[in-house]
Amino acid sequence: MAVEPGEFCAVVGPSGCGKSTTLTLVAGLDRPSEGMVSVGGQPVTGIGHGTSFMFQTDALLPWKSVLGNVAMGPLFRGVPKKSALTDARDWLRMVGLTGFEDRYPHQLSGGMRKRVSLAAALINEPSILLMDEPFGALDVQTKAIMSNELLTLWDKTKPSVIFVTHDLEEAIALADKVVVMTAGPGTVKAVFDIDLPRPRGSVQEIRFGERFVELHHEIWESLRDEVTRAYARTAAAPTAPAAEGVLS
Amino acid sequence: MTRQDLSGDRPSGRRLWGTGGRRRKLQVHAAQLVAFVLIFGGWQLFTSLKIVDPFFWGQPSGIVRTLVDWVRHGTSFGSIWQQIWLTMEEAVFGFLLGVAGGVVVGVLLGQVRFLSEVLSPYVKAVNALPRIVLGTLFVILFGLGMTSKVVLAAFLVFFVVFFNAFQGVREVDGNLVNNARILGASRLQVVRNVVLPSALTWIIASLHVAFGFAVIGAIVGEILGAQHGLGVVISYSMNNFETNGIFAGMIIIGAIALVAEWLINLLERRLLAWRPQTTSEASSL
Repeated sequence: MAVEPGEFCAVVGPSGCGKSTTLTLVAGLDRPSEGMVSVGGQPVTGIGHGTSFMFQTDALLPWKSVLGNVAMGPLFRGVPKKSALTDARDWLRMVGLTGFEDRYPHQLSGGMRKRVSLAAALINEPSILLMDEPFGALDVQTKAIMSNELLTLWDKTKPSVIFVTHDLEEAIALADKVVVMTAGPGTVKAVFDIDLPRPRGSVQEIRFGERFVELHHEIWESLRDEVTRAYARTAAAPTAPAAEGVLS
Repeated sequence: MTRQDLSGDRPSGRRLWGTGGRRRKLQVHAAQLVAFVLIFGGWQLFTSLKIVDPFFWGQPSGIVRTLVDWVRHGTSFGSIWQQIWLTMEEAVFGFLLGVAGGVVVGVLLGQVRFLSEVLSPYVKAVNALPRIVLGTLFVILFGLGMTSKVVLAAFLVFFVVFFNAFQGVREVDGNLVNNARILGASRLQVVRNVVLPSALTWIIASLHVAFGFAVIGAIVGEILGAQHGLGVVISYSMNNFETNGIFAGMIIIGAIALVAEWLINLLERRLLAWRPQTTSEASSL
């Protein structure tokens, strides 16, 4: 599996197939037991610069204001406080949260917290953005809005994105390339190029297009076997029912 | 552990005042007054009627008389304010030392797994020692002056704060740490920006109990051997079978503890201002 610079790659697969693990390997949070991960031709040996991560649960610091949370990245990297805060304000404006700088995360809605996370992830201008079901916990409408917003922001800075999701429609609507993984042990089963033209416009509407439906059908054919197999396995092994949240 | 029952009901109680209205508040105060009258009135009555022997059980009027006497004429060891001040000094110094030590060591051991594994049996062993025994040792080591009391108070405080700080550091959300690291934080920055603030709820919860321990350390230290202080006044009363003196000393200590508790609450509210103030959240924290 390879991701080109500036490419938006979605990874789908059954629960527990190692989608999230892939991301932590790329981020350098974990070391591979076998094989190799390289970024920009260099093998990953630790946490590298130029990578940002968006987790499924938001990783905002509850004791820092929205502004403080977004400014964290530049501050950690030694940017002077003043310009870090200016940057953070700019990014908050881009995600439409001007006026909420001084709020604490718990005072925001789920969608707003995701915007803050997005701003906090993009402010470091990463060359790679890793997203682990970032919108998984949102309701359908908010998810659609956030997807549109993600595409707009991605278009501005064009990082390579690896986007892990359960939602095939979301994957097709967003990505240039969809990778299907097999039920554990997770290996790449197939890679599908999504030739839908960009800009794609609204994520909600694109899914009714003819080509979209075709792609969806094609990828689902490939994914279905894996999902069925993974499901059969969890059903047969009642000792590990909670695998979903832990591994996926 | 103790954080649940101590910090748990307070914020929700505050909320109750806010929404329950004045009537509720009045009712509670009235009930509190009734309880006070029942307890102290009954005590006074039964001891006056000699159903209960006031020599052993003391008597509210006698306690008040002792307090007034202490304020007017001082104790056998000098002015009462001087005794209070000395004991407070010992308790506060011990408290500050113990908290500082507990936080530093707790965070350090919480962060460095190797260190905590090496030291864990020693920490448990020292924690299992009866503190009074240590108090006698400290009196021999540091003399009858202030130092031995400060050290004993600090020692008692240290363990309370240490265990909470350690646990707090261990409970830090791994996602938050990973996110900070990916955003470019150094180890020290992670500790300062993520670990410490996160452990702060735990640490602050321990302070309520810790101050009580600081006072215990100071008083017990004084009882074990000192020339001045509230503990000396109390042990003098004990040796002379002046029950009222013991109760009077207890009341003074209780009043001090209440003031300290109030101050710690102020600190807590300031430092943890970011916490959501919902009832469910408050009781779970």
